[in-house]
Amino acid sequence: MFFIKLGWRNILRNKKRMALAGLAITIGMASLIILNALVAGMNNNMIINATNTYLGHGQIHAKGFKETFESKNTINELPQVLANLKAEKSIESITLRTQSFAMLSSAFNVESVFLFGIDPKTEIDISQTKDLIIKGEFLSNNKQNEIIIGKKLSEILDVEPGDRIVLTVARAASGELSQDLFRVGGIFLFNIRELDSGIAFININKSQELLNIGKNVHEIALKFHKLSTIEDPIIDFWSRYSENDNKALSWKELLPGIDAAMKMSSFFSLFIGMVLLAVVAVVVMNTLFMSLYERMYEFGVLRAIGTRPLSMALMILSEAGVLAVISIIFGLILGIAISYLTSVTGIDYVGLEMGNVTFREPIRPVLIMGHLTLFPVYVFIFTMVAAIVPAIHAAKLTPAETMKKD
Amino acid sequence: MKNNEHLIEVENLSKFYTQNGMSITAVKSISMDIRKGEFTAIAGPSGSGKTTLLNLISGLDIPSEGTVLLAGKAISRMSGNELSDFRRDHIGLIFQSFNLVPVLTVAENIEYIMLLQGVSKKERAKRVSLILKDVDLQEKENRFPAQLSGGQQQRVAIARAMVANPDIILADEPTANLDSKTGSALIDMMKDLNERKDKTFIFSTHDNMIMERAKRLILLKDGEIESDENHD
Repeated sequence: MFFIKLGWRNILRNKKRMALAGLAITIGMASLIILNALVAGMNNNMIINATNTYLGHGQIHAKGFKETFESKNTINELPQVLANLKAEKSIESITLRTQSFAMLSSAFNVESVFLFGIDPKTEIDISQTKDLIIKGEFLSNNKQNEIIIGKKLSEILDVEPGDRIVLTVARAASGELSQDLFRVGGIFLFNIRELDSGIAFININKSQELLNIGKNVHEIALKFHKLSTIEDPIIDFWSRYSENDNKALSWKELLPGIDAAMKMSSFFSLFIGMVLLAVVAVVVMNTLFMSLYERMYEFGVLRAIGTRPLSMALMILSEAGVLAVISIIFGLILGIAISYLTSVTGIDYVGLEMGNVTFREPIRPVLIMGHLTLFPVYVFIFTMVAAIVPAIHAAKLTPAETMKKD
Repeated sequence: MKNNEHLIEVENLSKFYTQNGMSITAVKSISMDIRKGEFTAIAGPSGSGKTTLLNLISGLDIPSEGTVLLAGKAISRMSGNELSDFRRDHIGLIFQSFNLVPVLTVAENIEYIMLLQGVSKKERAKRVSLILKDVDLQEKENRFPAQLSGGQQQRVAIARAMVANPDIILADEPTANLDSKTGSALIDMMKDLNERKDKTFIFSTHDNMIMERAKRLILLKDGEIESDENHD
């Protein structure tokens, strides 16, 4: 307690210098919180965009379907799988889809596309496709021969809502071509080039008919009540639904690019955090050395009257400790305040594409409780480590050499 | 320890050092003994080796040759921690520039050494109160050094040097930064403590007031003892 009291009083001896050192620690602390809150918010935004736009939290396919997209490779034991999914408490919603390669022909052009057969009623619970319609309307269950295409595709084919196009697919098993005339019901805009030029949606019943797959489907997309369920080892959802030659995958495995992008941004925030802390450590070390050199004679006297080397080191460490604690508190308050205010206003990167995902909403920093307890500890440790060098220097001072210097 | 026993025994003590490539002899082959209860002044012109001798006796500096025995212990053979503890427990130091810790109050400066010794809070408070009476600073215990006069600060330094009940008190030019009236009062106070409490005082000084009041006067010249006289 004596050394803490002494440390506090020694800090007040040169208020300006200690205030500057304290400011460095405060800014370092606040920056760590803000940076990590921003990265957490960005990652959150990417996940929500990726899963809500079209993907869902996860998908079930027949084994091997995602590698070949063969139309005959439909989900095995579909009625049982659907019954099981219906009984799952963790699941919020599911939708069924077919997927196949197709050809679209207009009067002006021909283009190959990837065709999705969807149930309009349940699709809106999983994806935002309906919200992305910019012209015309989304599909409806009572208009079986309507198709919705992307903006870029509509320009290639030179069609507008109401225009007719011919859809050609290959039937499952036989491979024979199957054609039908469709009316363009709506045009969507994902703001992702590959989607806006390369995919189209029709009613699932119509696609099952054209593909000759009966009531079978190629994909079940699903959403959990809580996103964290995808990593819950107790529920162990993915291995349970990867039986009977089916394969269940979470969004992380379906979009590894996003997971990689998130890991990279976490790595960069860690790297920047380390650099920040290193700068803070250098400032603290410099300040303590200046304070030490100014008081060399005083330290010599203290050694002369019987202070042990360890106690000399403790004096320096106590100054650093007191400075660190006060500055960290200010840094916490500042970091939380800025993160909170920014989360209310949001950072507008709408339209920016990252890791194959387009930001559709402003980024809102997310404060993570674990960071608010861990980061102060890290900053404190770094500050104390920085203080070790001047503390050792103080401990090694001999009365004779320091008292001669004055 | 009996009064006629030697508290300090210095045998062939020398200190050489190099400065700007030149070898300098600060103290040369000094031998002397100090008994318990002495009030001794080591005097001489500037550069005669007074402060160096005091530093060697207190263990603040390491001799180039010779030995120093304090209360029977060879201080030159002690480790860093042993020497710190020995000075803490057996030697009181008074400096020319007072050298109080500016951020500690009068009471805290005085009790600092007892803190190092692990003395209880109650005992520390009791001894601080008693010593403040001895140096006539009873009402100043919560003041900081900057709020005191030079003479008052030196009295605090004397109290700090004495509170842990050391065997020896070494004072290096204690009156150098004081006016003559204050300096004289201070010397009288230390003389009184020497006589009442049988404390051994050794001064390094060129102040005539101390030399006149000293019971023993050792004169140094060029690092050697020129004369050693008792004034009892």
